[in-house]
Amino acid sequence: MKIGTPKEVMKGEARVAMTPDSARQLQKLGYDCIIESGAGDAAGYNDDTYKEAGVEIAKTAAALWKAADVIAKVRPPTEAEIKKSREGQLLISFFWPAQNEDLMKQAAEKGASVIAMDMVPRISRAQKMDALSSMANIAGYRAVIEAGNNFGRFFTGQITAAGKVPPAKVLVVGAGVAGLAAIGTSTSLGAITYAFDVRPEVAEQVESMGAEFVFLDFDEEQQDGSASGGYASVSSPEFTAAQLAKFRELAPDMDIVITTALIPNREAPELWTKDMVEAMKPGSVIIDLAAEKGGNCKLTVMDEKIVTDNGVTIIGYTDFPSRMATQSSNLYATNIRHMMTDLTPEKDGKVVHNMDDDVIRGATITHEKQVTFPPPPPKVAAIAAKPKEKVKELTPEEKRANEIAAFKAQTRQQVTLLAVGAALVLGVGLIAPASFMQHFIVFVLSVFIGFQVIWNVAHSLHTPLMAVTNAISSIIILGALIQIGSSSLLITLLAALGIFMASINIFGGFLVTRRMLAMFQKS
Amino acid sequence: MEFGFTIAAYAVAAVLFILSLGGLSGQESAKRAVWYGIVGMAIAIVGTLIGPGQGLFVVSLVLIALGAAVGYQLATRVQMTQMPELVAIMHSLVGLAAVFVGFNADIMINNVAEIYETSGLVLGAVGEDGYTAIGLPKETYDGLSSFGQLIAKKSGVEIGILRVELVLGIWIGAVTFTGSVIAYGKLAGKVNSAAQKLPGGHMLNAGAAALSLLLAIMYMTGSGSWTLVLLTLLALFIGYHLIMGIGGADMPVVVSMLNSYSGWAAAAIGFSLGNDLLIVVGALVGSSGAILSYIMCKAMNRSFISVILGGFGGAAGEQMAVEGEQVPIDADGVANALDEADTIIIIPGYGMAVAQAQQNVAELTRRLRAKGKSVRFAIHPVAGRLPGHMNVLLAEAKVPYDIVLEMDEINDDFPNTDVAIVIGSNDIVNPAAQDDPNSPIAGMPVLECWKAKQVFVSKRGQGTGYSGIENPLFFKDNTRMFYGDAKKSLEDLLTRIS
Repeated sequence: MKIGTPKEVMKGEARVAMTPDSARQLQKLGYDCIIESGAGDAAGYNDDTYKEAGVEIAKTAAALWKAADVIAKVRPPTEAEIKKSREGQLLISFFWPAQNEDLMKQAAEKGASVIAMDMVPRISRAQKMDALSSMANIAGYRAVIEAGNNFGRFFTGQITAAGKVPPAKVLVVGAGVAGLAAIGTSTSLGAITYAFDVRPEVAEQVESMGAEFVFLDFDEEQQDGSASGGYASVSSPEFTAAQLAKFRELAPDMDIVITTALIPNREAPELWTKDMVEAMKPGSVIIDLAAEKGGNCKLTVMDEKIVTDNGVTIIGYTDFPSRMATQSSNLYATNIRHMMTDLTPEKDGKVVHNMDDDVIRGATITHEKQVTFPPPPPKVAAIAAKPKEKVKELTPEEKRANEIAAFKAQTRQQVTLLAVGAALVLGVGLIAPASFMQHFIVFVLSVFIGFQVIWNVAHSLHTPLMAVTNAISSIIILGALIQIGSSSLLITLLAALGIFMASINIFGGFLVTRRMLAMFQKS
Repeated sequence: MEFGFTIAAYAVAAVLFILSLGGLSGQESAKRAVWYGIVGMAIAIVGTLIGPGQGLFVVSLVLIALGAAVGYQLATRVQMTQMPELVAIMHSLVGLAAVFVGFNADIMINNVAEIYETSGLVLGAVGEDGYTAIGLPKETYDGLSSFGQLIAKKSGVEIGILRVELVLGIWIGAVTFTGSVIAYGKLAGKVNSAAQKLPGGHMLNAGAAALSLLLAIMYMTGSGSWTLVLLTLLALFIGYHLIMGIGGADMPVVVSMLNSYSGWAAAAIGFSLGNDLLIVVGALVGSSGAILSYIMCKAMNRSFISVILGGFGGAAGEQMAVEGEQVPIDADGVANALDEADTIIIIPGYGMAVAQAQQNVAELTRRLRAKGKSVRFAIHPVAGRLPGHMNVLLAEAKVPYDIVLEMDEINDDFPNTDVAIVIGSNDIVNPAAQDDPNSPIAGMPVLECWKAKQVFVSKRGQGTGYSGIENPLFFKDNTRMFYGDAKKSLEDLLTRIS
C-alpha cells in the first residue's frame, strides 16, 4: 500500500507529516511512500532529500490523493480535502472531532477511515504515538524562547562590572507536558521559575525540574487528575477563588507568565484576569498557550501579539510547533510512523484496522462509513497514584510516653533475664563443688563477654566471623596436647588425631579469614 | 616451666581472642583483629607445649605441621563461593576432635581408677573433712601424666561432674560432627538439599535424645564405657537426621548453629579438663554462633525452633493468587534502561554465587559508576548460604565495601531509585511477605525493590525459590524478567554497556 503526505493547505503551517527518515522506516514496514512536491520545503526538507530516501514525488495534491491509500498529514483536513478522499482510504491527522463534527460526518459519508492523532488514548503503550505530547513539548520550549525574545532583560541573574542584573521570575500555570517543557527551558536559562497546577500530585515532577511549586492554602480534598486520564478537570468555585487570589498576590513580582491550562473539550479556564495584567510591571510578557481555546487570559488575541496600555506584551500565537517546523516535523512523523507500526502487525505493508485494540479504537473517529466518536472509555486507566496513607503524627507527649513505656519494658525484660540467670547460677552453685564453680565463673563471664562483643560485629563481616570463630574453636587442640603424653597408647592415638584435625582447622581458618579480609576494599 | 607460666599465657591468649572477635566490628580493624587471633593461638599452643606434663613434644609439632599443610591447601584453594562448605566441614573437625578428647578423658578416668585399685584405694574417696580427696601414694602419683594427676586429685563429686561434662562434650561434639558433614554435603550439592526425614520424623530425634539421656545416667552410675560409645553413636545419628530434615534455604541458620555447637563442645571439654582457656574460647564461639543464628532467624521472621524442626510452617489459609504475567526483556532493553538510570541498586542472592557471576556484576558496577551513576548493593541478612556470604563474594570481585549496604540502611531508598536489579535472589524480595498474611513467609523483612521505578530480575527460568513460594514481584507492572544464567546474561549486558 502507499502512504502519501500532501502539502499542508493551511496558511503558515510549516510542518510536514513525513520526513525522509520516517519514510525510510515506513518502507521497512512494507509501504511505498509518496509526497506532494514542496510539502517539506518549510520544514527544511526539499524534494531531493525525499527522492534520496526513495519517496515518489507527486506533482499536485490531486494526484497524491488519488495515488495514496493512506494519507498522513498534520492539520485537520479541509472540506475540499475530504472531498478528494475516497472509500477505503485511511486518513491520519489531527482532527479535533469534538469541534469538527460536520467534517467528521462528511468523512464518514465519503467512506474514508479517519484516525485522529489528538484522540490517541493516554496510556503507557501509546506514548510513542502521542503527538499531542510531542507537540506540547515543543510548544512549551518555544513559549519560553518567544517570551525571551519579547522580554528586555536577561533570564539569569548576573553581577557584572556594569551593574547587577536581577534574575527573571517566570510563572508557569499548568504543569502538563507543555508546562513541564517550559519549566525545564526556563530553569536552564537561569530564571527563577514557579509553577502551579490544580493536580497537587505533579508537585514532585515540578520540583524535579528545578521549579518551585506554588501551593494554595486550601483544604478541600483536591481531586486526583490521574483518574481522568492524566488531564485536569473542572475545579470547584471555592478552589478557583483561592487560586486566583494566589495569582493576584504573585502577579506584581512576575516578569514572564506562561499559561498552559486546558481542560479537554472545554473552553480554556480564565486564570489570568485583567487586573492581574494591570498589576504586572511594564515590559513583562504573557505567553498564552491556550489561545486557541479562548485563552487563559481574556485579553489574549488569538495568533497575535499585543501590548497592553501598561506595557505588558501578551502573545497568543497558536502555531508554536510550526515555528520550529523541522523539530516538530521529525517528532510528528515519528508519531505517525509508530501509529503505522501498530496498524501493520505483519510488517507486510497492509493496514489491519483492528478495532479491538484500545489505542487504534480510541483514535479512530470514522470507520466503514460509521462515525465512531466518542470512543468507549479506555480499559486501562492511567497510572493512578495511590493516595498516600497518612501516618498519624504523634504529639511530643505521646512520643515521650512511648519512650518511657519502651524503656520500662526493656528494664523489665533485662531484670527478668538477670533474675532467671542468677537463680540458675545460684542453683548450680548449691550442688556443685567449689573447684567446678571456679571454672563456672570463667564460663559465665566469657559467655557474657561473647554476647557483648559479637553484637557489634558488622553484618558484612559475618562470614569472616564464622571463619575466625571456627579457627579459634580449635583451641580444643590444647586438650589433645595435654593428653598426648599419656601412658596409654589408645589415648595417645586419639589425641594425635585430635591435634592433627584441630591444626588443620587453625591454619585453614585463619588463612581463609585473612584472604577474605584482604579483599574488602574501600572505594 | 612452671604451671603458672602456662596459666599466664592462657590469660594473654584469652584477651587476644576477645580483641580478635571485637575487632570484626569494622572492615579496617578486622584486618588487625585476625592477627590478634593468630598470635593468641600461637601463645596458647606454645604455652601448653612447654607447660607441665607435656610429653611427645616432637610428635605434637610434626602433627601440627601436617595439619598446617592440609589447612594451607584448603584455605588457598577454596573458591569464595564455596565458603559455606568450607566452614561447615571445618566445624565437623572441631566436633570430632571434641569427641576424641572426651573419650580420652573417660579412658584416663578408667586408667586412674585401675591404678587406685592396684594401690588398694578407691578413686574419689574423700578424707575426714568430707571434701579433700585421699590421693595416691606420692611415687604412684608422680608417675602419672599431668592429666592423670588432675583426675587423681579429684573427689567423688568432682569425678561425677567431670563425667557430666565429658558426656556433654562428646554428645555435642558428635552431633556437630555428623551435622556439619551433612551440611557440607548439602551445600556442596553432594546431598539433596531438600528437607528429608526418616519415617518417624521428630519422634525419632526425640527418642534418640531420650535414649542418650538414659545412657548418660547409666554411665554416671558406673555402667561402664560401652554406654558412652552407644551414646556417641546415637548423637551421631541425631546430628545426621537433624540436618537432613532442614531445607537448603535455612542453611545460614544451620551453619551458624553448628558454629555455636562446636563452641559449646569445646567449653564442655574445657570443664572436664579443668582448662580455663578452652572454657573461655568455647563460650565466646558458642555465644557468637548463637547470636548469628538469632540474627538469621530474625531476618527470616522464623523462630529458632521451627528452623531446627525443619520445613516452613503450614500456611494459615489460602495464599493470595498472583495475577498478571511475567514479562521478559532482553539485554538491549536492560542496557537502555541502565543507560537512562541515575540511581541503581543491585540485589544479589544465592543465584549469583551459583552462577559465579560476581566478577561480571563487579565489572558492570565499575562501568556504571564510571558513567557517574550511583550504584549500590542491598544485602539481605540471609542472602546466600552463610551469614555475610554476599559481602565476601562482592569483596572478592573488588566491589568497594562502602557501596554494599545492609537491608535496614537501604530499604527506604528504593522509591528514589531508577532501576533495581535482582540477581539470583527470590524470597528476600518477595512482596507477599508484606502483603499476604497467609504467605508462609508473611512478616519476614524483605527488600522492597518493587518500589523502584523499574525492576529487572535475572533468573534462570520461571521457577519458584528455595521455599517454593510464588513471588508476586515477578508479575508486577514495573518488573521485567531477564531470563538466563546470571553469568551469561551479564556478559551479554556488558557487551552493550561500554
